[in-house]
Amino acid sequence: MKIKEEKKKRQSVRNSKSEEVQEEQPSITEQNKLKQKQLPSHSDSDSDSDPDYGSPYVSDSEDFSEDGDFDGSLSDSEAGESESSGDEGVVNSDVDDGLHNDQENQSNSSESHQGVEESDSSEDEVAPRNTVGDVPLVWYKDEEHIGYDLDGKKIKKRTRKDKVESFLESADDAKNWLKVYDEYNDEEVEVTKKELKLITRLLKGKAPHSDFDPYAPYVDWFKWDDAKHPLSNAPEPKRRFIPSKWESKKVVKLVRAIRMGLIKRDKPKEEQQFYHLWGDDSSSTEKANHLSFIPAPKSKLPGHEESYNPSLEYIPTQEEINSYQLMFEEDRPKFIPRRYTSLRSIPAYDNAVKDVFERCLDLYLCPRVRKKRINIDPESLKPKLPSRRDLKPYPVTCYLEYKGHTDAVVSISIEASGQWLASGSLDGTVRIWEVETGRCLRVWEFEEAVKFVAWNPLREIPIVAVSVGQEVFILNTGLGDEEEQKKIKELLHYETPVAPDDSGDKVSVASWHQDDKHEGIRLRHFKTVSSVEWHRKGDYFSTVMPAGESRAVLIHQLSKKHTQRIPFKLRGLPVSSLFHPTKKIFFISTKKNVRAYDLQKQKLIKKLETGLREVSSISVHPGGDNIIVGSREGKLCWFDMDLSSKPYRILKCHPKDITNVAFHRSYPLFASCSDDCTAYVFHGMVYSDLNQNPLIVPLEILRGHTSSNGRGVMDCKFHPRQPWLFTAGADSVIKLYCH
Amino acid sequence: MDIDGVNEEENSRRVQVRFVTKLKPPMTVPPLPIAIPSNLTRLGLSTLVNNLIQNGNPDWNTQPFDFLIDGELVRMSLDKFLLAKSISAEKILEIEYIKAVAPRKEEEPSLHDDWVSSVDGSDPRFIVTGCYDSLARVWKAAGECTHILEGHSDVIASVGVINRKGVEGITVATASKDCTLRLWKFDTEDSINDPIRIRAFKILRGHTKSVQCVAAQNTGDMVCSGSWDSMIKLWQTNDSQSDGDLVSIKKRKGNDQADESQLEGEAVSTLVGHTQCVSSVVWPQQETIYSASWDHSIRLWDAETGKNSSDIFCTKVLNCLDVGGESSALIAAGGSDPILRIWDPRKPGTSAPVFQFSSHASWISACKWHDKSWFHLVSSSYDGKVMLWDLRTAWPLAVIESHKDKVLCADWWKGDSVISGGADSKLCISSGISVL
Repeated sequence: MKIKEEKKKRQSVRNSKSEEVQEEQPSITEQNKLKQKQLPSHSDSDSDSDPDYGSPYVSDSEDFSEDGDFDGSLSDSEAGESESSGDEGVVNSDVDDGLHNDQENQSNSSESHQGVEESDSSEDEVAPRNTVGDVPLVWYKDEEHIGYDLDGKKIKKRTRKDKVESFLESADDAKNWLKVYDEYNDEEVEVTKKELKLITRLLKGKAPHSDFDPYAPYVDWFKWDDAKHPLSNAPEPKRRFIPSKWESKKVVKLVRAIRMGLIKRDKPKEEQQFYHLWGDDSSSTEKANHLSFIPAPKSKLPGHEESYNPSLEYIPTQEEINSYQLMFEEDRPKFIPRRYTSLRSIPAYDNAVKDVFERCLDLYLCPRVRKKRINIDPESLKPKLPSRRDLKPYPVTCYLEYKGHTDAVVSISIEASGQWLASGSLDGTVRIWEVETGRCLRVWEFEEAVKFVAWNPLREIPIVAVSVGQEVFILNTGLGDEEEQKKIKELLHYETPVAPDDSGDKVSVASWHQDDKHEGIRLRHFKTVSSVEWHRKGDYFSTVMPAGESRAVLIHQLSKKHTQRIPFKLRGLPVSSLFHPTKKIFFISTKKNVRAYDLQKQKLIKKLETGLREVSSISVHPGGDNIIVGSREGKLCWFDMDLSSKPYRILKCHPKDITNVAFHRSYPLFASCSDDCTAYVFHGMVYSDLNQNPLIVPLEILRGHTSSNGRGVMDCKFHPRQPWLFTAGADSVIKLYCH
Repeated sequence: MDIDGVNEEENSRRVQVRFVTKLKPPMTVPPLPIAIPSNLTRLGLSTLVNNLIQNGNPDWNTQPFDFLIDGELVRMSLDKFLLAKSISAEKILEIEYIKAVAPRKEEEPSLHDDWVSSVDGSDPRFIVTGCYDSLARVWKAAGECTHILEGHSDVIASVGVINRKGVEGITVATASKDCTLRLWKFDTEDSINDPIRIRAFKILRGHTKSVQCVAAQNTGDMVCSGSWDSMIKLWQTNDSQSDGDLVSIKKRKGNDQADESQLEGEAVSTLVGHTQCVSSVVWPQQETIYSASWDHSIRLWDAETGKNSSDIFCTKVLNCLDVGGESSALIAAGGSDPILRIWDPRKPGTSAPVFQFSSHASWISACKWHDKSWFHLVSSSYDGKVMLWDLRTAWPLAVIESHKDKVLCADWWKGDSVISGGADSKLCISSGISVL
């Protein structure tokens, strides 16, 4: 179709050009007329299509490009031609005349060219007697007539001659060989001599007319010199005369596409008939295809109160309306519902323009951003933890209380067999309790507040180390049978060396004394001792003096009554120290980090970076590879020593300071206690399989203590054999939580 | 049959009942079916029966009764009970009535100097108590202390009366936290105002930790003791030096006339198996010893061979143990939770308790079967309560709240009294309990 349009354009351009030419040079047309005899094809071209060449080509190409009906359009164009050429008086005025007329026309020398031309184009141009048009004549095979004449009357078929008759006829008539049967008009036509000549010339390959000179001298009709616009003299390129390969390819492509059903021409595209004003744009698939499309927010739909006749409950009272005046303008309701008797009586809405304007402002000033909402069920993000019921036993309820202290209980310690409990309090007493009944067995009184108590881990040596101010006491509890008592008395007997020779350095750090008042040994340190920890074999114990700087951590040997400094350089303020439960490793926690030292090789093995502000307590898993660290900001860090120097887990449970953390010796439990008067119990399973990370499950929050002076639970310790937790509170009570 | 004095409610349903009893004649009622309102509770039934008895016996003093239907005590209104047990109310219901088990009299508490840790009332003539002031006391009645047993250097954890056949006088064993057991002998005939102070005739040494419990064989020849060193030791109780079984018998202060001679004994055999403190032992039969421990197990030992014959595992720490009940086979134990559990070791293949009583609020410190009844138990708890139980109902029969502090021990005495000692240093006797 495009091609056709282009051609039409070209034609129109050319026509206009030729018109111009015609206007400027009217003489040429006259000349043209004169030359018509010589150049019959040119006569047409002036009025119709191509100025230079014969029309049949052009018309042919035009018709080809049109869809399908080649013949019909051809005949139309021919009719047009014949009409347009009417002024020249060449029309076949008598259609009925048929071939004879033609022959006559052709015989006319002046107009013979038309006949030639038409006979060239098609045979149908013989003046039609029949008007059925270009239909297959088979249709009329069985009919009596062959068609209709111009008046609409049937043209009867002639009676058919049989072969013998026709043979006889041909034998009779010498001119019979000149006769041709016209099937269309159902008549026989005799070829004239002129036509015969034409045919013979054509057979020879010459021009049909003898007077046509194919090699006539070229006459340049166009006057080049005065032409306003230059006109190309270039010959028409070849490509205009050959069918376009590209086009045929394209056509083949289209045909294939149609055959394969890729192009569907049946259904016209449905267009949306109306715009869904209140619909949700975000869900419309058409627009959602565009990534950047964000639908404008819809304005609020009118509700019942916007009705012209709302229910009474929507209508504010006069008081309410008055109170609106006292409100800020932004808070004031924009619309006050009113009742009207009919729709007619509703006045114009004052703020209509303003509202629309504000809406417009909202629409284009407010940036719209697509928020990515992740549709994940938050429950599914939680790690799958085993049920608490499966992790029993663990401490749950408090059944026993140990009452007797008059001030906050700072530290507790349980004897290895779990029969006795020692507690130290700010009231300056150390008490021994019977775990089973809550009976206070023994009380020691000191001048200062007790900071720390620690049972000797050996069951045979029931002695307690107590730190009071700058002193550490080793006290004999008097438990156990007579033989044990004898041993303990020997152990706790200390004779002051007669010659104070080595009093130079060591004495200044810590000095051993026999203490008769409390029946034990007194170790005097040069600074306040904050904690005492026993080695598992019960002979060595370490003391920590936070203010002691380089001599802050000391290790004492009870059997030899000997004190030594640790052979490592300390960095930062030490908080507490610990012996490894199985290996010769010593842990020292400063306020920021925890360091593990090998006591045998005397070197630093590992430094654990807690990332905490202030470490308050530390506990080692009985397996020795895991450490928990409690901090003053309420965080609890679990370190897997094999895994990394960074915490494996950080548990943020307590809103206040964690005062102590503890591992159970045999059950997979650990606990933390805090100043928020609670203690948390966790399941902390460490697997022997190195590939499996420790499993930590929070189990229980133990409440019951009351706050005193802002302090809550000061210490917590597990029973060594049972899944029980002892907590010491600032409310001077020790509680036992049982499973 | 119309009974006057019974509050009949016209709108309530009625059930046909017949009262039966095993009680003696003055307390029987005619075994005729009567129609009673179905909404009667125990109190209503009790007044009804009292009225019935009074009809036949005008000078009858009313007393409370308890009622059994199909071997279960009625603890709610009759219709609810029938509904709950899905017993048909159409046919004649047979209700057995027994005397209500509840203490009727609270004796004056016997004051001690310190916490009363243990009590034994197996001999109807006297009560033995162990005390935290390391003295054991013998009481003839409430507030009447006849003997003081002194000699221990630490808290007495347990006392046990030894019924020795053919030996006049009374032998008592005490276990103490000073790792020793002591045996004492005294006569009950002494009736002097001041209590007599006695010293032990035999000291049993061998435990390395405090001894927690002691129990005597029913023949009285041996005692067994459990200790914090997780061992059970068996000891001979005889005092004769000629006994060849004793390996070393020393006469300590033999020359001194003022002091009685003190023997020292060593353990005959040691039962090893428990991993933690043995908190309670009983030796009800000649051949079997039952022990409860903090390692959550109850073990049965063959006394002859010292072999552990079977175990029952609990999930809690056990503090007390007693064997009794039906054919003296049921094991009752309490521990570090408020539930009193009863096992039946005759039931094969299960270690689940057959009964669980959970009305206490804290640890159970003691439990004892009644020595005659199959059904009755007494238990004491750290919540300060002593409770009487009947196996036929899940609720306690009676709650004795005479103690202000933890109750550490409880026992039956004379078959109709409950004695209990606690952290308020008192020995309380609740008498008048008509169990049978």
